[in-house]
Amino acid sequence: MNASTRFPTTQTEPSVRDGAIPADKPAYLGFGLGLRAQHYDEILSGNPPIDWFEVISENYMLPGGQPLRVLDRIRERYPVVMHGVSLSIASTAPPNFEYLAGLKDLARRVEPKWISDHLCWTGVHGKNLHDLLPIPYTNEALDHVVSRVQLVQDYLGRAIALENVSTYLQFHDSEMTEWEFLSELSRRSGCWLLFDVNNVYVSAFNHGYDPHAFLEGIPADRVVQFHLAGHSHMGTHIIDTHDHPVCNEVWDLYAAAIRRFGKVSTMIERDDNIPSLDELIVEVNQTREIAAGLLPSMPRAG
Amino acid sequence: MSDFARQQSDFQLAILTGDEKILAEILDSPKEKRHVLFGVYKYAYSSRLVEALRNDHKLLHSYVGDEMFDEMGKAYVVANPSQHPNLRWFSQGFPDFLKAEPYAEYPILSDLAALEKALNDAFDAKDAAVMQLADMAGFAPELWDGLKFEAHPSSCRLDVSTNVAAVWLALKNEEMPPDAALLEQPGRLLIWRQDATPMFRELSIEEAMMWDEASGGIPFGVLCSMLATYDDPDGAAARGAGYLHGWITAGLLTGVAAES
Repeated sequence: MNASTRFPTTQTEPSVRDGAIPADKPAYLGFGLGLRAQHYDEILSGNPPIDWFEVISENYMLPGGQPLRVLDRIRERYPVVMHGVSLSIASTAPPNFEYLAGLKDLARRVEPKWISDHLCWTGVHGKNLHDLLPIPYTNEALDHVVSRVQLVQDYLGRAIALENVSTYLQFHDSEMTEWEFLSELSRRSGCWLLFDVNNVYVSAFNHGYDPHAFLEGIPADRVVQFHLAGHSHMGTHIIDTHDHPVCNEVWDLYAAAIRRFGKVSTMIERDDNIPSLDELIVEVNQTREIAAGLLPSMPRAG
Repeated sequence: MSDFARQQSDFQLAILTGDEKILAEILDSPKEKRHVLFGVYKYAYSSRLVEALRNDHKLLHSYVGDEMFDEMGKAYVVANPSQHPNLRWFSQGFPDFLKAEPYAEYPILSDLAALEKALNDAFDAKDAAVMQLADMAGFAPELWDGLKFEAHPSSCRLDVSTNVAAVWLALKNEEMPPDAALLEQPGRLLIWRQDATPMFRELSIEEAMMWDEASGGIPFGVLCSMLATYDDPDGAAARGAGYLHGWITAGLLTGVAAES
C-alpha cells in the first residue's frame, strides 16, 4: 500500500513519488518514555515496564564511548525510536549533508522504528540557535518544507515523522492554520506526524484558538506518535519547558486525541528537572490507563 | 532571496543582535505584546547555550560561581555563535576564549576549562581495541627496537601553566581548592578513557616526551635512545619498558606492530 492509495486527494500533485520511499505506516509500539542518561543504570538493571524508548538522536551522534554502548544494550531489550532536534527541516539554509550522514549512520546502528524531528528551523547563515523556531504558514514555506522533507526522506531511504512545536508568536503573512500546514505537508511529502499533545495545548493558549480545532484538523491516519509533557504557565503565555508533570488540561486533550486518532504510540517526554524513573513510570501508566479506558481492545497496566 | 529566507534571516538577526525589525511581521497575541513573545526566544537562546557550557564545565562553574560563570558564558555566546547542529560541540572553543582578555590574567580559568574539555572529549571519543600485555609476548626481543605503538583515540596530552590538577581534584571532591598558582615548569597531563571512565594523570618531563614521540609513531628503539639523553643512559631501556607497561595496563594503547 502506498500513501496515495491510503490517502486519496483531489489535488493534482502526487502524494509521494512512485516507489521512492517505503510508505507503510510504522507499527504501534504501546506506551513509552524518553530515554535520559539519569535512568540508564536503573533501566539496564531493572527492565522497567516500559514498552519502548525514544532517544534524542544528537545525544548519540558521537564518535563513541559510553552513550552509544548503553544505547546498544537498551535497543537489545526495547524498541527504540530516534527523535532529533537539529534537522532544521524548515530552514532556508542549504541542507546540512554532514548532519544527515551522521543521522543515517546512527539509524544504521540503532535500527529505530522511525525517525522524527520537528516542523521548525534552527538557524541560517551557518549558525545554529539550538531552538525550535517558528515559521509562517504560507504556501511559499509549505513548498519549501515539502521539497526539504522529500530530500531528507530520499537521503535516509525512509519516511520521517514531524512534530508540531510549541510556538510563542505568529506571523502576519500566514495564509493557513498550523494544522492545515501540517496536513498538507504530510499529504504532499508522505511524512508522518508526531502529535505533541502538550505543544498543541501550549500553542492554542498562546494564540487564542481551540486546541480541539487543531485536533480535528489533523488527518487521523497520518499520526504515528503522541508526546505528552509538562510546561510553565506565565499568565499571558505558556512556555514549553518540559520540566513538569503532565497537567490535567493536557491529560484531557490526550483523551480527546485518543478518541480521534485511536491507537497511537504514546510517550512521556521530560527534558529538564528530570525525576526518578519510578515517578515517570507512574505517568507512563497513566497514559496506558487512559487509553485502556477509551479503547476497549487495549490491555491495562500490570 | 525569497520572502521566507529573508524572514528567517531577520528573525535570527533579532536574536543575535537585538535588531528587531522582524517585529513588524509578528502579531500581538490575544493576551500579550509581540516584543514580550519574541523575548521568549531571545531569552531561551542565551540561557540554553550558557546552560550547555555549565553542563560541560561543571567544575569551572563551581570554581567561579554562578555570577562570574554566567558573565563568561554570555560573553562566549556573543563571541562564538554555535556553528554545529549538535550542542555537544558548542563549548569546544571555551578554553581558548578564556585565554584571551579579560580572562588572560587568570590562567587557571582556561586551564580548568581545557582539562574539563579534554575529559569530556575522552568520554565520547571513538571506540577502539585496547592492547593487552599479552600482545607484547608475540614479539621476539630482537624485534622490540622496531615496535611502534598506536595511542587510543580517546588519549590527549595537555600542557598547563597552573596547578589545575590539584584544583580540579579538590573541586571534584567538593573540597576547598588550593589557591591558583603558576607552575615553575609547565605541567604535562595525559587524558584518556579507561573502559567508560575519563581519566587523567600528570607525567614527568621524560614520560611526556616519550608519550608524545611514541604516539607520533616513533619506534621503541629510537624512544629508548631519546630517553638516554634525559637521564641515566644505562637505565633508558628499562625506563622505557616501565612507561610502556604503565600505558598498556591503563588502556592507553590500541595496538602494536613491528616496523616493516
